[in-house]
Amino acid sequence: MEMYDSIKEIVVDILDVDPDEITPETYLVRELNAESIDMMELAVVLADQMEVEVDEEVIFLRYLRDYLAEAKEIGINSSSMIAEKYPFLSPERIEDILGDLDDGPVLQIKDIVAYIEYLT
Amino acid sequence: MMELVFSGCHALVLGASSELGICLSRDLIEADIFPVLTCRNETGIQKLTKELSDLSGKFKTVALDFTNDPSILKTFAEQIGCEPDFLIDLAQPDFECLVGSALEPEIFEYFAASIAFRAACLKQVVRLMLKNRQGRLVYVSSTAAARATPGQGFYAAAKCATGAIYRNIGLEMGSRGVTTVTLRPGYIDAGRGRSYAQQNTSVIRKRIPTRKILQTKQVVETIMFLLSDSASGFNATEITMDGGMSAGK
Repeated sequence: MEMYDSIKEIVVDILDVDPDEITPETYLVRELNAESIDMMELAVVLADQMEVEVDEEVIFLRYLRDYLAEAKEIGINSSSMIAEKYPFLSPERIEDILGDLDDGPVLQIKDIVAYIEYLT
Repeated sequence: MMELVFSGCHALVLGASSELGICLSRDLIEADIFPVLTCRNETGIQKLTKELSDLSGKFKTVALDFTNDPSILKTFAEQIGCEPDFLIDLAQPDFECLVGSALEPEIFEYFAASIAFRAACLKQVVRLMLKNRQGRLVYVSSTAAARATPGQGFYAAAKCATGAIYRNIGLEMGSRGVTTVTLRPGYIDAGRGRSYAQQNTSVIRKRIPTRKILQTKQVVETIMFLLSDSASGFNATEITMDGGMSAGK
């Protein structure tokens, strides 16, 4: 929980939201209305505070839907493609994501935590 | 009398070895702002070190050649050794040539250096500023961006493109305390402008309603004002400083 708490604190500060609104399952864009500049700041602050090199395209699952389209086009399993591109996501989380695509951007706080934990 | 107040104590000056850059460096140091001065090569560093020898220890020099591979910018923060509160961009590679005469490799090289490399450099700087939610960038462009003469097509294109990048930084990051302003001076009695002005004094004066060519000190004082808290209302915009030259036909 230590990593989650640190990241939650950063998210609360950048997005200026009530800490009580945040859980590991909170959606960054869908619920907290995070914009591009917020995401960029989040990446910069995470890189600085966690002392890691953050790949913004990966941490924010930016090309998720492109990868799914590519998987469909070349005829490979969607879960395998996502697992390959985002190795920090658990198999359970990947299945959740694949079932959640119709409601908008799928990125949750716990995905960011998983990415940083994967790097550290 | 208005006293300028500056929110910050570190400045990065791109292309600092010009007369304008040296004069600006002195004013920055006088305002208790530590400048990191970049120039293309060792010759520029030697020039800066000599011209500012009386201020030794109060500035730092870094070689930054815009024709390099942008991958060198990965260690940019380490190279400059500080998180700048201010950036003043005076860098502009020269390329005077008629559009129809330019060699293709030179066209690609010029835009790679003057636009792409600079954009990559700005990316690094604004991320450092974003971390502190504070930053002021002043880009010194030229009236040529709006009214070029024959032979200045590439120069004007680079100035316009760079101005657009600065404008967007101010637009995108203003909410995070990172703001920009572009200054477009007309003829300055310094560097390339001086030799041109000396050869064409009467023609130039006729084109300027005030009949006055800008002095280096005048431009530096304007830059200092634009860096100060007093000018914080200027963001994502261009200001022309040419005695009214570009206002008329």
